[in-house]
Amino acid sequence: MVFRRRATSSDPPAGETSPKHSEGVDEAFAREALTYVDSLYGTALRLTRRPADAEDLVQDTYLKAFRAASQFQRGTNLKAWLFTILHNTFRNMLRHDGRNPIDVDSELVEQAPAYAATEHSPEELLTRATLDVDLQAALDSLPDAFRQAVWLRDVEELSYAEIAQVLDVPIGTVMSRISRGRRALYERLQAAGLRETGTETVTRSAGGKQKADVV
Amino acid sequence: MSKCRDLDPLFAPYADGAVAPADRASVESHLDRCPPCRENVAEQRTVRAVVAACRPSLRSSAPNELRARCAAHAGNTRRRRSIASRLVERPWIPLSLAATLVIAVAAAFIVGVNDKVEAIAAQLTIDHVKCFQFAPERLKHTDAAAAAHQWAEKQGWTIDVPDSSASAGLELLGVRRCAMSSGRVAHLMYRWHGQPLSMFVVPRTIRGVPDRQEFVEKFGHEAVIWSGKDRTYVLLARARPTELAPIVGYVRQTAH
Repeated sequence: MVFRRRATSSDPPAGETSPKHSEGVDEAFAREALTYVDSLYGTALRLTRRPADAEDLVQDTYLKAFRAASQFQRGTNLKAWLFTILHNTFRNMLRHDGRNPIDVDSELVEQAPAYAATEHSPEELLTRATLDVDLQAALDSLPDAFRQAVWLRDVEELSYAEIAQVLDVPIGTVMSRISRGRRALYERLQAAGLRETGTETVTRSAGGKQKADVV
Repeated sequence: MSKCRDLDPLFAPYADGAVAPADRASVESHLDRCPPCRENVAEQRTVRAVVAACRPSLRSSAPNELRARCAAHAGNTRRRRSIASRLVERPWIPLSLAATLVIAVAAAFIVGVNDKVEAIAAQLTIDHVKCFQFAPERLKHTDAAAAAHQWAEKQGWTIDVPDSSASAGLELLGVRRCAMSSGRVAHLMYRWHGQPLSMFVVPRTIRGVPDRQEFVEKFGHEAVIWSGKDRTYVLLARARPTELAPIVGYVRQTAH
């Protein structure tokens, strides 16, 4: 007879199980896992936007990770595995609260405003004094699905395949989200640059309506 | 135009040098004749560089307290073991199982669990589900002091019953004798934000159960188990561990 534990989406990703060590988490595993606490916390902050929720999320992630340590496949990326648990837990949290897990607003990016005039060169963007602040704001204004994908790639430096595992979407979707997410970020940084230089411009809002953006 | 759209997802990995070799040629031959897409790739590279340059300010440091709490979980978390490894070990025989379907199905899961904490959590989760499911009509708002008094009279040992609390979101619905361990377990039943929550009190300390609380997950429920003076306590509900922590704090205040 085979008894199978009912899998829930909050479970850590399945991997090979190691039959050794009947209890307690091995120390080396715990030590390595704990080196990612800053990364996990920073990402959790981006996801939940509230420090208290981010702390809960990170704690739940470690609890689940230590509990499922035997399912971790040695030789694979522990950081990506922890991120997968973090994101699964976050999605469950949203479902639990009756919120919609990730509203993929691709329309918004599809119709991202086109900037005809006074483009800033990449060099100008990179040397701007307010770059950090502008980038923070631009990231925060991205639709969740795009922000998560760009964050995991460009801040946490996971591979495309790892991000697909973390976000539980096909790799093609990851590529497309990163591609569009970055483009949207670029547009927003350009717009911030225009504001900074006091240029008056007309942008098209997401809904396609004309809106005078005088700043 | 449709070519641009088709290739669009590849521009991100192309800009990172992470595109599959098979796709590289088709991307490059398209970029040769499509200035807008070339610009797109340049934008991808710019944003990647901008984000990389700002990484230090984008990242956050976890508070030290959080770091310590996470590290503590390494010690108080039991590994879930593979079914295969459970089957080769001496099976743990569940105590006094009544022949209900819930128990029959659930017992199948715990064959082979010989770890005490795991076993207790599994057993009590079954009891928790069973009691809330099969006797809902008996559950109604209950006064804690009266319930504690009644328990001592009938059972001959005392329990501290944490009262209903608006701030903890708890309503006491009843105290009953639990079938486990020859009825020597008190089952305190609560409603917690609309869902069932149980606290079990065992009138002795069980060897192997630590003073500090230990979290165990069983059948989609989270159980917190700890021992106090001459008593072992288990709190469980369908919840996330961090959601249960404040409830544990509340009942520990009352129960010790």
